Amino acid sequence: MNLKRAVAWIAFGLALAGAAASLLPAAKPRGFDAEAFGQLPVLEGGRVKPLDSIARNALLVIRGKQSVPFEGRSLGADEWLLDVLFRPEVADRQEIFVIDDPEVLGLIGIQQSKNRYYSFATLAPHIDELQRQYAAADPVEPKLRSRYQSAVVNLFERMFLYHRLKNTLQLQGTPGLAAEIAAREGPGAPQRHQALAQLAYFRPLLPTTPTGDGWRSVGEALAATSSVEPGLEQWARAGVAYRAQDPASFNRSVADLTATAALGRPEAIAHSEHEWLFNAAQPFYSGMVIYVLALLAVFVSWAWRPELMQRLAFGLLVAGALVHTLGLVSRVILQGRPPVTNLYSSAVFVGWAAVLLGVLLERMYKRGFATAVAAASGFASLLVAHHLSSDGDTMEMMRAVLDSNFWLATHVVTITIGYSGTFLAGALAIAWVVRRHVVRRADPAASKALVSMTYGIICFALFFSFVGTVLGGIWADQSWGRFWGWDPKENGALLIVLWNAIILHARWAGYARERGTMAMAIFGNVITSFSWFGVNMLGVGLHSYGFMDKAFWALSAFVASQLAIMVFALVPARFWSSRRAEEPAPAGPKGGSEGASQPV
Amino acid sequence: MTPPIVERVLRPLVSLKLTIACLAALMVLVLACTLAQVKLGTWPAVEIYMRPWFVWWDVPGTEWRVPVFPGGALVGAVLIVNLLAAQISRLELSWSKAGLWISHAGLVLLVFGEFVSGALQVESQLAVEEGQTVNYVESPRELELAVIDVTDPAMDDVYSIPAARLERGGSVAIPGTPVAIQVRRWFENSDLTQRGPTDPPSPVTAGIGTSVTVRERPPVSRDDMTNQAAAFVEPIAGGRSYGTWLVSNGLGAVQSFEHEGRRYELQLRSRREYLPYAVTLKDFRHDVYPGTQIPKNFSSLVHITNPSRGEARDVLIYMNQPLRYEGKAFYQASFGKGDTLSILQVVENPGWLLPYVSCVLVAIGLIVHFAITLRRSSKRRQAPLEA
Repeated sequence: MNLKRAVAWIAFGLALAGAAASLLPAAKPRGFDAEAFGQLPVLEGGRVKPLDSIARNALLVIRGKQSVPFEGRSLGADEWLLDVLFRPEVADRQEIFVIDDPEVLGLIGIQQSKNRYYSFATLAPHIDELQRQYAAADPVEPKLRSRYQSAVVNLFERMFLYHRLKNTLQLQGTPGLAAEIAAREGPGAPQRHQALAQLAYFRPLLPTTPTGDGWRSVGEALAATSSVEPGLEQWARAGVAYRAQDPASFNRSVADLTATAALGRPEAIAHSEHEWLFNAAQPFYSGMVIYVLALLAVFVSWAWRPELMQRLAFGLLVAGALVHTLGLVSRVILQGRPPVTNLYSSAVFVGWAAVLLGVLLERMYKRGFATAVAAASGFASLLVAHHLSSDGDTMEMMRAVLDSNFWLATHVVTITIGYSGTFLAGALAIAWVVRRHVVRRADPAASKALVSMTYGIICFALFFSFVGTVLGGIWADQSWGRFWGWDPKENGALLIVLWNAIILHARWAGYARERGTMAMAIFGNVITSFSWFGVNMLGVGLHSYGFMDKAFWALSAFVASQLAIMVFALVPARFWSSRRAEEPAPAGPKGGSEGASQPV
Repeated sequence: MTPPIVERVLRPLVSLKLTIACLAALMVLVLACTLAQVKLGTWPAVEIYMRPWFVWWDVPGTEWRVPVFPGGALVGAVLIVNLLAAQISRLELSWSKAGLWISHAGLVLLVFGEFVSGALQVESQLAVEEGQTVNYVESPRELELAVIDVTDPAMDDVYSIPAARLERGGSVAIPGTPVAIQVRRWFENSDLTQRGPTDPPSPVTAGIGTSVTVRERPPVSRDDMTNQAAAFVEPIAGGRSYGTWLVSNGLGAVQSFEHEGRRYELQLRSRREYLPYAVTLKDFRHDVYPGTQIPKNFSSLVHITNPSRGEARDVLIYMNQPLRYEGKAFYQASFGKGDTLSILQVVENPGWLLPYVSCVLVAIGLIVHFAITLRRSSKRRQAPLEA
């Protein structure tokens, strides 16, 4: 007994230790303190963030990954950014542009091969042609673009992002920032300063005033005064040192830059260190791994030492939930906002709420199903979130009408909990279907437990989606002047409320019994995915700031899979593998989604 | 004993089957309405699916219209009746059911509130530039032909003909004046271009329209598009024709004619409603996050002058902070002209408080119900202990 309890705790502890391992200081690549460089605060996208976030997000947008293989080594995002900023001729040779579209490849005279990544140097000779194609495709509404047009626009925008990064601290083709400072009053200087100010992707120099957010680009700082401020000087020295591949003096310049920032903006340093830590820890990635391990443990428990493995799985699930929670709390603190601010964070939050509910259910029923379903839901939602994060910064600033922490905390959070509940009910129902068709050993009590869990979660989901929808109505009345406007996103929320209400009424009236309720719960997944993502793809309505078009096929596949599982759910009892013991001698037609008239 | 005939009517009305059917029908309508918005825009989709009693289908090639599905209004009404009937016949009037009573009353009120909004809510816009004073609101969808007597420099007399009347054609007499407007042709949506030498002859004989060619266009209904309506109209006064004029909401020029010393202007414009007070825009602000185009804040500082109430005060209207004044609510909706024009959405809905009341009712009902259930279950758990 004691051993079993200990196993859960050991699994929990090991999982946490594994997640924390990513925070151990990494070796300095070639002696350069890339970590300290990554922690420097700059302003981009309307907020202060560490350079590490810029590097990771830019590389994620351009390459789809957070590292680059180069000369037999894997460069981290910070190291890559150093090359882009200070050694552009080296960065140009790194294969960072992922191109999948054969027509775009054909445009630059390359046959599609196994290699999907191309360097800027490879693309540079075709830049005029690419720009022409971009100019033709860009005016077309994103929804109406052909595959080729989308690919061209996408490639050109990534190239432009890279171009801006290269021209943030020094103009392309010039010897560097130090030379720029020396020639700041020379011929052509004002034009160069203006170009630097316009192209700058981020603003590295502290505001001149102690408060406010007037961070400045290098171009603005060069143009403003004839005397050279310390920050500018330090950036120049860091650049010279990096070009000369002199780690010692580079590290000294970075330390000076950190000291300058700490003096002028201590809160910016604190914030960017926290965000750097968050980036390095990758809590959602670790959480994903731990959830998979928990799921595997549950699978093992069905074949070997059920009680021990169930406890181990539960220990892992709780560890995953803790890591997930820490990540979520970190985001809340970093953003100074409630947890759900965009599609990405809604996915993270949906998974989190589902996992917490799963932990509660497992405490109540202790059968391992809730662990499996929670781990699978947590993993799936973090996977979805991962795919939503490829657009860059996931902590972008809130548009004016959304700039209301009160409503974000009430309406958005409750409606997202409603999504969570509906998905969890659907996931439990899927688990019920899988059990029915896979497990040979019949266990009516287990089946009943799953049904009652699903029922409870549907009640929970109805409550939260109703409250969330009504709160949304009140927010709409406050900001747009009407309680209900039949806007697509509102309609989507209403569909979830109606569907959950239908399931519960059908059950109360006895029209739907076990099979029917479960099939309907699975259809809840379809409804929720439509209202969560589907309506955003319509590209109409007041909520269209969450617009996305790429995931259409993924969503269609998901819907198709759910419909297929529903068919399995509705298959009559005689086709189930575990039928005999659980359905003792059916006397007449068994209660399905229709036909039954007695309350259950 | 209930008479059997009453029961036979009541039984289906109170059945849960009807509830489920209504909810399912509502889901179908909501989904159809959502998908239709891609092509039609929000407003027409709601007018087709949610507001009417039936969804109609025009049989192609005929004049027939067939109801193919119950509309939102019918489903809502049936749902209210079903809820009320079920409540009265099934739920006994006891304290233990008080929570359900209250929350169901809240739901009925919520659906009823949507009926009130559908029938009574009027949406309009108030566009005002910095320094400008405006004493009217304009309809975003409806047009009117304004015939304005501008003879008196101190005051204009405005007569307006709604677009629906223009669409019917014929002659419209302007009350209180000798003028009648003969409508020659109406274009719901049109394209106006400079007249070319090869264009077909135009019936327009007076005003700026003589140099314009009008081509009919299919009407649009999407939220982000507007129709450019046009009409050929002929003012007739004292038995005399003043020529055929082109009027359009796409024409900026002022067109006027004179009859017996009085000057009349002709203008096709958004339908206006004049207010007993005036709104002056003192300052419009559009803040962005530093170094980005992401809007951080929109706000309009306006001055309200209301002689009838002896009021003159400044009000700041910004995101999530509307001004509610004399039954109307003013919201910051849009802007233009290099951030000097502010467009306020103006909503008048006498039933705006109903959803709030119904939400409070549902919430109280649920809390009461949970409290009662909790007490009952804790009693039940205690009972075996005592035994």
